[in-house]
Amino acid sequence: MGWVTADAPTRSELAACIQCGLCLPHCPTFRLTGMESASPRGRLLMMSAVAEGYSEVNDVFDDLMGFCLQCRACEVVCPSLVPFGRAMEGARIEIAAQLASPVRRFRRLITGRWIGIPWVMRAVTRMARLVQRSVPARFLPPQVRTSIGGLRRLPKRPASSVGSTFTPIGLSGAGVAAVLAGCVMDPWFGDVHTATVEVLRRSGYRVVVPDGQTCCGALAAHDGDAQGTRRLAKRNLSAFASADLIVTDAAGCGAHLKEYGNWVGDAGEILASKVKDVTEVVAEAIADGRLPRLDVPRGKVAMQDPCHLRHAQRIVAEPRAVVAAAGYEPVEIDEVGMCCGAAGMYSMLHPKASRELGQKKADQVRASGSTLVASANPGCEMQLRGHLGGAYRVAHPVELYWEALQAADPTR
Amino acid sequence: MTLTAELRDLLGHDRVLTEPLERWVYGIDSGVVRGDAQLVAFPETTAEVASIVRLARHYRMPIVARGAGTGLAGGAIPTQPGLVVVLTKMNSVEIDLENATAWVGPGVINLDLSKQTDPLGYHFAPDPSSQSACTIGGNIANNSGGPHCLAEGSTVGHVLALEMVTADGDVLVLGGPAPDPLGLDLRGVVVGSEGTLGIITKALVRLTPNPPDVRTLLTAFSRVEDAAATVSGIIARGVVPAALEMMDQRMTEAVERFVSAGFPTDAAAVLLAEVVGLSAAVDAEAAIIEEVARENNATTLRVAADEAERAKLWLGRKSAFGAVAQAAPDYYLHDTVVPRTKLVETMTRVYEIADRHGIMMLNVFHAGDGNLHPLMAFDSAEEGMLARVKAAARELVEVCVEVGGSLSGEHGIGIEKRELMKLVFNEADLDAQARVRESFDPDAVFNPDKVLPAGSRCFDLGRPPLEGMWV
Repeated sequence: MGWVTADAPTRSELAACIQCGLCLPHCPTFRLTGMESASPRGRLLMMSAVAEGYSEVNDVFDDLMGFCLQCRACEVVCPSLVPFGRAMEGARIEIAAQLASPVRRFRRLITGRWIGIPWVMRAVTRMARLVQRSVPARFLPPQVRTSIGGLRRLPKRPASSVGSTFTPIGLSGAGVAAVLAGCVMDPWFGDVHTATVEVLRRSGYRVVVPDGQTCCGALAAHDGDAQGTRRLAKRNLSAFASADLIVTDAAGCGAHLKEYGNWVGDAGEILASKVKDVTEVVAEAIADGRLPRLDVPRGKVAMQDPCHLRHAQRIVAEPRAVVAAAGYEPVEIDEVGMCCGAAGMYSMLHPKASRELGQKKADQVRASGSTLVASANPGCEMQLRGHLGGAYRVAHPVELYWEALQAADPTR
Repeated sequence: MTLTAELRDLLGHDRVLTEPLERWVYGIDSGVVRGDAQLVAFPETTAEVASIVRLARHYRMPIVARGAGTGLAGGAIPTQPGLVVVLTKMNSVEIDLENATAWVGPGVINLDLSKQTDPLGYHFAPDPSSQSACTIGGNIANNSGGPHCLAEGSTVGHVLALEMVTADGDVLVLGGPAPDPLGLDLRGVVVGSEGTLGIITKALVRLTPNPPDVRTLLTAFSRVEDAAATVSGIIARGVVPAALEMMDQRMTEAVERFVSAGFPTDAAAVLLAEVVGLSAAVDAEAAIIEEVARENNATTLRVAADEAERAKLWLGRKSAFGAVAQAAPDYYLHDTVVPRTKLVETMTRVYEIADRHGIMMLNVFHAGDGNLHPLMAFDSAEEGMLARVKAAARELVEVCVEVGGSLSGEHGIGIEKRELMKLVFNEADLDAQARVRESFDPDAVFNPDKVLPAGSRCFDLGRPPLEGMWV
């Protein structure tokens, strides 16, 4: 039957791979299994098998594609510049279109619809809070053990920043920064938002969190829900229509926003060109002197690179510059930036592989000798905290900078 | 019982692949030939490999060993419906620092080994361009080279001992820690045998001390002839650089788009030279290279300022094959070797052949040892294209052999260059090689159809096969 949707992997995307194999050692699932069918090259070959009519989109294809973390480490090392992430999203859309199942429909309901409804997220947050307070992590099922175990302490009444406006402090004239509140960032990571907003204000931005915005749609896109992805993207297009600078403090959201062009055409392309990760904006402000470099030494911080920051957005230097300006000494834990195994819903769908990768990452952090870890993505943060336990602190780089800024001058 | 059932009993369900889609990906490597992987097995120990060999033999299934599948000559492709034994899970490393050696599993990735020994001050010298992905087992099977083999020699010079499983399922150790083992040195027979004599399950490799100093020079020329003259000139002056690599303009453009290392894309040829050793020697040799390059009208002369710049230049060079995909979806190449003095002449003729067949050609090669990689970029979906490419490739090899060169510098013969062996060897030569193979593997269970052309052994021509024999 081949492909049935317009989003399927295209011939040129698949033909771009010449099977040189240089991606293999950079693929976390290939490293775990040593199997070609769990490698980027193998996955592209299997997509070609469908495109050429050798195979159907069947349960085996679903399993093999589903095992991919979508970390996109392969894209960085690909001399042929294969857009692997896009091709994999295309393959997932085909799977969703051709293999309907109640489980998949339910998942689509979560990632494509419910996630964009604030009261649903508030209800989920209250439930998660109840579980967090009453059930020790070790009694939770493996699918949610590290994610719930790795949550920050959830607030009783999750506040929403959507609709607020903040004036610049000290400096002004940097323009307007429109912040994406996000689906889980808003109720679960309020402190990261606070740090983002406060640091942006002090680098001269007027900060707005536009009304009418919603989840970026990354989870829906990764799960092959084309309709849900586009529905969410369109809402954000209108919410951010007048923005000149869109700032995210979650690497996964930033990576997805920067690819809106793949989903909603030219309008998406325009929105994508305005998106920056908060570490990019803050590092720039530090570099041109709008934000200070603080010279009180604060010790080491282990740098964990979220895949969607390092591989998808190619942002490596900025988070390091931000923590260094806060007075920390950034410590490298992993030369190639291997995925920590959180990968959105992956930890729930493939708990075993996710756990193995999470443990490896935790071991790398332990070997660094630092009990503080900087990570710029909520999923990675939960995975790290879940695997490292309470003796370690995991924080967003901008949070660390905000704390240092307050400590240096409490009146600011 | 079936072979599948017995393999599953032996290895468990997860380490035997039977699904058509999973087997499909094991039907091809980095080359263009597709084979038929009937079953795929993932042993973790030597004993498991031995059992697999005995089982496959019992069920008369040909066996093809595979590492990372980065080969370009189809060496790891089951040309007959067969069992692919994938060795990626056999990746242990035991370092013996005192003797500067390491016992490594065949599935260890070449660069992983060097990364592991780097903090101790050592590396594994053979550095094929695919070193970030390819495995030591594959390096040994193909006697792989690489840019730095100009000074260090190819894999065979870095293997002290081999543990292998024979066609009978026995475990054999060839060589040992001593530099010069007694008796016939069979290591040299097995290294480069491309999986036709047995399955390597472990190897004792030599580790090379990291050089105290290194200098990488990028030079560029407006004529290919000037670059070639520089290569000969450097070596004539008594300098053997650690590496001496050339890329033509098209290749440089493709590479630069990927790495942005500042390769001059307007030059006809780019030459990358590296000298290593004690600082004084490195300074002196770098000065000579600069001088020779200037004498030959170099248009660019740049020394890598730091390790980051050096790494970027090498990343560019080592990504060259993959970068070709920016030009066309498929590529085909032979890694012929020609005498250095014939470089310019051969290059001119090679470009002529490609032009005559209307095929886009890019060149990237180990200039120091005359090891060419004329790469033809094409789209196999275009009718008759692959046949045209193969015809051009044959002509190209004929030219290289005619000027006194050889078929393959490092990629191996596999299935791709098998018939071309007759250009270099006569019947007696091929028969002698076939006899060696037969003495290891009388029933040809290991990687049948590879390396030696059909009819190499006299009995192929008339004698009936023995009872129970695989042919």
